[in-house]
Amino acid sequence: MSIANQPLLKLENITKRFKELTAVNGVNLEVSLGEKLVIIGPSGSGKSTLLRAINLLEEIEEGTISFEGREVGYVMRGGKRHPDRPQAISALRAEIGMVFQHFHLFPHMTVLGNVMEGPMTVQRKSAEEARTIALDILEKVGLADKRDVFPATLSGGQKQRVAIARALAMRPKLMLFDEPTSALDPELVGEVFDTIHTLADEGMTMIIVTHHMGFARELADRVIFMESGNFLAQGTPEELFSIAQDNERIRGFLNRLL
Amino acid sequence: MIYLVSRAFVALLFLCTLAGNCLGAADYDQLFRQSSDLMAQGDLDGALTLLRQVPTPAAGEEAGPFVSSRMQAARIHAAQENTDKAIAACQEVLKLFPDNSEARNFVAALREQLKPGWHTVLSDTLRFLPSLAKGALMTLMLVFCTMLVSPLGGLLLALGRISTLRPVSGTCWFIIWFFRGTPLLLQLFFIYYGLPSLGITLPPFTAAVIGLGLNYSAYLGEIIRGAIQSIDHGQMEAAKAIGMSYSQAMRRVIIPQTYKRLMPPIGNEFIALIKDTALVSTIAMVELMRSADQLFNTYFNITALALAAVIYLVLTTIFTFIFEKIEYRAGIYEHR
Repeated sequence: MSIANQPLLKLENITKRFKELTAVNGVNLEVSLGEKLVIIGPSGSGKSTLLRAINLLEEIEEGTISFEGREVGYVMRGGKRHPDRPQAISALRAEIGMVFQHFHLFPHMTVLGNVMEGPMTVQRKSAEEARTIALDILEKVGLADKRDVFPATLSGGQKQRVAIARALAMRPKLMLFDEPTSALDPELVGEVFDTIHTLADEGMTMIIVTHHMGFARELADRVIFMESGNFLAQGTPEELFSIAQDNERIRGFLNRLL
Repeated sequence: MIYLVSRAFVALLFLCTLAGNCLGAADYDQLFRQSSDLMAQGDLDGALTLLRQVPTPAAGEEAGPFVSSRMQAARIHAAQENTDKAIAACQEVLKLFPDNSEARNFVAALREQLKPGWHTVLSDTLRFLPSLAKGALMTLMLVFCTMLVSPLGGLLLALGRISTLRPVSGTCWFIIWFFRGTPLLLQLFFIYYGLPSLGITLPPFTAAVIGLGLNYSAYLGEIIRGAIQSIDHGQMEAAKAIGMSYSQAMRRVIIPQTYKRLMPPIGNEFIALIKDTALVSTIAMVELMRSADQLFNTYFNITALALAAVIYLVLTTIFTFIFEKIEYRAGIYEHR
């Protein structure tokens, strides 16, 4: 299990509804510093929504989010919940990296431009400083030689590695991966997996929502199985796979994947 | 006194030399009247025969009737499209009076007619071009001012329309609704002729730029809004995820990606604008259309209008070319 003692992220009673559908149903979660959490579960189980709620891309109806011991994202005004000031929300997002299933690289910027964008525009670093940071990170994800090309010329795997570099350039305290390998051709999954694995080995705190069992098996400290907006089971990979032996739903899900 | 004597002498001379001829008392007035009557009846040849009867005056003799008769003959020949004979008649006059400006101008005009058609067009072109060029310059000034104003206005209207603040989006919707829904001509009239009654009097150029600017801002506003909303929603999320504010995301991520998509419709709008500037000729602006119209009304010469058409075509062609280049450059990141 994790080494940290105080949770970096604490979610209490998170509830998100889309009209009739309750996507996330009163979920509680603590993530310690350096912990690698993997959330699995069938499509529509609410795992992506939960992830997006953490950096406030989804507005939740109930619950509280605490980051580094502070409640974030919402304020009470006149007995009603309101989203916090935009500046406060942006400041939180700047500390949490997010990687999307479909990369969402900025197509009008070069690879280097994409990675420099956060430090330059958000952190107001000088171009030289941002460039140094960006080149350093591109080196790490193995794409320094692609720095001057536009994203349109890259393969899916390369795009996702640039997207990871873009998030890392902000020096985030927590990384969120939303199905980072689901949009990739099977032969390109490996390079992205390796990049995330390296990052995990360096001690980055991360939450990975995925269908890719490799993440759960090889780098997770804890695996959560989510269904219909609830956590059905959680534990170390070994624990979860043993629970799966007894739980028909989890076993069925895992069998379909393997 | 001398005049009367000489007149009487001439009359006497005529009576002697042209005895039997009906020119009694050298009464040319009578002769001219008869020839006019014949002309009115369509008998041009008969009129010519009569006019021919006015003889070449001797030195010191009264030359008025002679000049009149030959010039009238020249006009008849010209009307019959017999340019050679017309010139010959004029030259009879010029032989005696080389400085007679009427005959000289008429010869010059006739010679001009003898020249091939392209020559006339060329000389007309040279004659009209300076004032048309001045008009075209004004048209260009209007186009440039509107091109500066309307993209900014359009962007503001577009951002206002997609704003979540109801009063802002409502106001922008109203502005677009009004200026897209009424004729530009009406808007120009209202600004130039209507505002003075509210105590606001604008010079024509200002009124024209305001009218064109508002109208084109409304159109560009909808085009820009469409382009912004066509950008994948994931782009905004990715920008926000690295901590950008809404305005940073718009400025750095969303709006730059609209440029390529905006170029074809905006190019279209600006080409329409070049032609729409012709409407401001109705509010006392002298631009290309007005210049051509003035020349046409002065000279009844279609060349002026044809030239204006050519200048409009040249302007629109240049703009088309420029916008194609910009479109290519704006989308360069999509080329592999």
